[in-house]
Amino acid sequence: MKRQVLLLTLVALGLAGPARAEDSKLKACFIYVGPVGDIGWSYAHDEARKLSEKALPWLETKYVESVPEGQALPVIDRLVTKDHCKVVLTTSFGFMDQTLEAAKKYPQVAFAHASGFKRAPNMATYMADFYQVYYLNGLMAGALTKTGKVGYVAAFPIPELKRHISAFALGVRAVNPKATVNLKWINAWVSPVKAREAAEALMAEGNDVLAFTEDTATVVQVAGRKKVPSFAHYSPMHRFAPDFVVSGQLVHWEKIYIDFLSKVRDGTYAPGKLQDVDYWWLLREGAVEMGGQPGLPINPKYEDALKKAQMTVGGKQVSVYDRVMELLKDMSSSKPTFDPFTGPIPDRNGVMRVPAGKAMTVQDLNQMQWVAPGVTGPVADEPK
Amino acid sequence: MMEEILQALARALSFGTPLLLASLGALVNERAGVVNLGVEGMMAVGALAAFGVASETEALGTAVCLAMVVGALAALLHGFVTLTLRANTYVSGLALAMLGLGVSGLLGKKYEGAILFEPAPELPFTVAAGVLAVVLWGLLYATRPGLVLRSVGENPAAADVLGVNVVAVRYLAVAFGGAMAGLAGAFLSLAYRPAWTDGMTAGLGWIAVALVIFVGWSPLRAVLGSLFFGLLYYLQFRLQDQSQVPTEVFAAMPYLLVIGVLALAGLRRMQGAAPAALGRPYHRGER
Amino acid sequence: MIRLEPDPLPGRAKVAAVYAGVLALAFALAGAVFAAYGVGPLEAYGTLLEGTLYDRQGLAEVLRRTIPLLLIGSGLTLAFRVSFFNIGAEGQLLLGAAAGGAVALFLPSSALSLPLMFVAGAVAGGLWTLPAAWLRARVDVNEILTTLMLNWVAGHLVIYLVNGPWRGENVQGFTYTDEFPDLARLPHLGDTLVHWPTLVLGVALAVALQVLLTRTPLGYELRVVGASSRAARYAGMPIPRVVLLTGLLSGGAAGLAGVGEVAGIHYRLLDPSQLSLGYGFTAIIVAWLARGHPALVLLTAPLMGLLLAGGDLLKISLNMPFRVIDVFSGLMLLCLISGESLARYRVRWR
Repeated sequence: MKRQVLLLTLVALGLAGPARAEDSKLKACFIYVGPVGDIGWSYAHDEARKLSEKALPWLETKYVESVPEGQALPVIDRLVTKDHCKVVLTTSFGFMDQTLEAAKKYPQVAFAHASGFKRAPNMATYMADFYQVYYLNGLMAGALTKTGKVGYVAAFPIPELKRHISAFALGVRAVNPKATVNLKWINAWVSPVKAREAAEALMAEGNDVLAFTEDTATVVQVAGRKKVPSFAHYSPMHRFAPDFVVSGQLVHWEKIYIDFLSKVRDGTYAPGKLQDVDYWWLLREGAVEMGGQPGLPINPKYEDALKKAQMTVGGKQVSVYDRVMELLKDMSSSKPTFDPFTGPIPDRNGVMRVPAGKAMTVQDLNQMQWVAPGVTGPVADEPK
Repeated sequence: MMEEILQALARALSFGTPLLLASLGALVNERAGVVNLGVEGMMAVGALAAFGVASETEALGTAVCLAMVVGALAALLHGFVTLTLRANTYVSGLALAMLGLGVSGLLGKKYEGAILFEPAPELPFTVAAGVLAVVLWGLLYATRPGLVLRSVGENPAAADVLGVNVVAVRYLAVAFGGAMAGLAGAFLSLAYRPAWTDGMTAGLGWIAVALVIFVGWSPLRAVLGSLFFGLLYYLQFRLQDQSQVPTEVFAAMPYLLVIGVLALAGLRRMQGAAPAALGRPYHRGER
Repeated sequence: MIRLEPDPLPGRAKVAAVYAGVLALAFALAGAVFAAYGVGPLEAYGTLLEGTLYDRQGLAEVLRRTIPLLLIGSGLTLAFRVSFFNIGAEGQLLLGAAAGGAVALFLPSSALSLPLMFVAGAVAGGLWTLPAAWLRARVDVNEILTTLMLNWVAGHLVIYLVNGPWRGENVQGFTYTDEFPDLARLPHLGDTLVHWPTLVLGVALAVALQVLLTRTPLGYELRVVGASSRAARYAGMPIPRVVLLTGLLSGGAAGLAGVGEVAGIHYRLLDPSQLSLGYGFTAIIVAWLARGHPALVLLTAPLMGLLLAGGDLLKISLNMPFRVIDVFSGLMLLCLISGESLARYRVRWR
């Protein structure tokens, strides 16, 4: 009789054990390279973190901001040993090598690294990219420019930017084959003073539509004050110039985070199974969105102008508005057929970069060094 | 072509306004013999104070006033350490710059990324700066108070003998310098880029300090000098694609220019134009 | 009525007491700023001490930050002695890193790589100080502004190099050079990031500069020039040359620190904002606290290393912004120079 009671108790405890484990939370820790208030890259990651925490009741998160690149490893050490993080997400290319080292050091912890290319059994990579959205923005910019000059304020000449600029230029030229996309580099991710002066210089040179890739809302503000239309970048910036933000690019990192963390939780992505996990998520997965703020792909104030503007597609005349919406629908569907980087595409010096009928692979896109035709301005490191 | 020139002038005026305001303030306290290198820090706290008030209450006038008060208080801290405690004036200014940037970055955290929806117009600031330059010029060279200020900077012992309270005059000058730096900061966060970002002063405070030496401590030349620097900063972007020169050269130009200017000033012995007692604490009875 | 009277020979105990007092004031004031931000001062300081002193990882972090502070601080101590306020150490560090990187990337690697890198770094750092030091020595141009401006120029120069001619082949177009070959990397202490050869170098430099100061003719000239320029002139000492040499030395020391950073932690050259983490400015406090004795840097550098590591901990544990360190540094510096001043005075009641 005693033995049976003992056995029953053991069984009961055995059943309760996993149940208790189910109640425990999964702790995920995020490391940002910049401050969360920057309305740019780190801000977007943090917003996604908060949304993920809200969506997943078993998730507990922590973040550390403004971590310089050589210091990811000590921060991870502390997060893993003192704060008991089970998942560590490092959100900048520069953290790659130290994340890899940490992954080797802590095989029980799952790591995910944004925008990188090195993986390990317990380290995945992920990226949400805008090039499709920039193409669509380019179509609209091409339609709206009266001078044929579109300005672009850019931070650093890395592949991500070259991808964005090229996709944008391809879009602009699809509507207006003579238009140019004029670059000004500010060599900083966050510098309101430089962004302002660069935008002013672009407008002085006759650019009447502005786009940018840098982490502040300066360009939107400056352009709005001069009544110049612009495209928001990364975070909802429509409110900063509601009459002059045409559209933009928005990111939803939480789509990736919720997917990844759920799969870590249920074992699909347990540490040890991450060697080939590489998220390259686009419009189809909802990781990026077109618009100056969520739910507003095109500013109603510009709808008429875009409907009136015409472009040639496959020999037929189509309104730019219709083309944008049609492509948006296609690329957001589960089986997209259109890709802005489908050949033949030469670079701006005439060298053929994408042969006819082919699209660029993810690796090509990640290592892009050339820029599309129509882009003016100095570009560092252009291949011959 | 005309449009080009007007545009360049407009940018130069815009960028030059905070430079002019801050350097006029620094000019006054240096004329009185006190060096305050902490302009960058005072600008930063002024910018934050102005932005904080403006975003909470939309009262731009109050925002500007508070910025000036905060700048003056920060400067008075430096004044206390330099004039009363007689510590090393250069290092004290440096510490103030660090402290100002740190405090503004820390306390400004909750405003980071926020934007002002009713920005202030730039013109009043620019006009005020220009008017101030002229007024200071007149004051310094044609009035009694101006003479007192200059004498305190050139020969404090003589001024003391004539009954001038050297330390009090210096304190007032330092406070004025701080108020101007705060005003320059307010311009940045209310008008130039109506937002708050950590580090938005972007080295302008240091350029203002160099500007004072560049123009030989003269208010009217300060107007020209700030316009010149403003033009240069704008050209950095305007000329980016006109030449084979890498963009970083243009970006580094303002700083190289400051060094060049200081070198020129030194080589031509313009240091002789500096107030003779600049940077030296005054002790009654000491030689 | 309180009156301050100069005290010609302040006693050691009094000076120490005044310093302790002002340091305590600095901590109290910083605590007030924390409170204004919303974090309790005791919690902040507790976290700081507990995270740095009570475990191996924390101590490693303190050591890692001490290394560049030792190098730069020793050099600056000498420079401050002759009133050469070199605040361009950030830029000199960058140039040293660039020179070391050039040796690592473009010269064939061998057992001589690392020593060569350090030599190149020291030379580059010294050369970067040359314009400012020369202008000060020759025509008395304020070196604070010139060295500071050179910081920004150095930053742009390194960005140009890393983005342009030195950009790596295997870095997917990002702002890095290629990684250094194995022979150009410094070994670490265990699994920490402490690159111990540079630590040894730092200690050696502090001792060497102390010896230079006290036992060589140049050191003697340095001490006299620093104490009284009138006496130096009377003795016929070449003041400009002494100031120039001291300035170059302080730049060279900062260059060494730069090599340490790239060869010990990053193993490549990268964006300046990730490379020069404010060590140049923190070293000012290290040097000031050392009161003109390079050997004392052996004490003051770990102290500031502790504060820097602690500041980072505040960021990690309490999510305080990194500007916290600047508040600390600024307050400490202000209190220190005030203390130094106060120690020179006696209080008289009448």
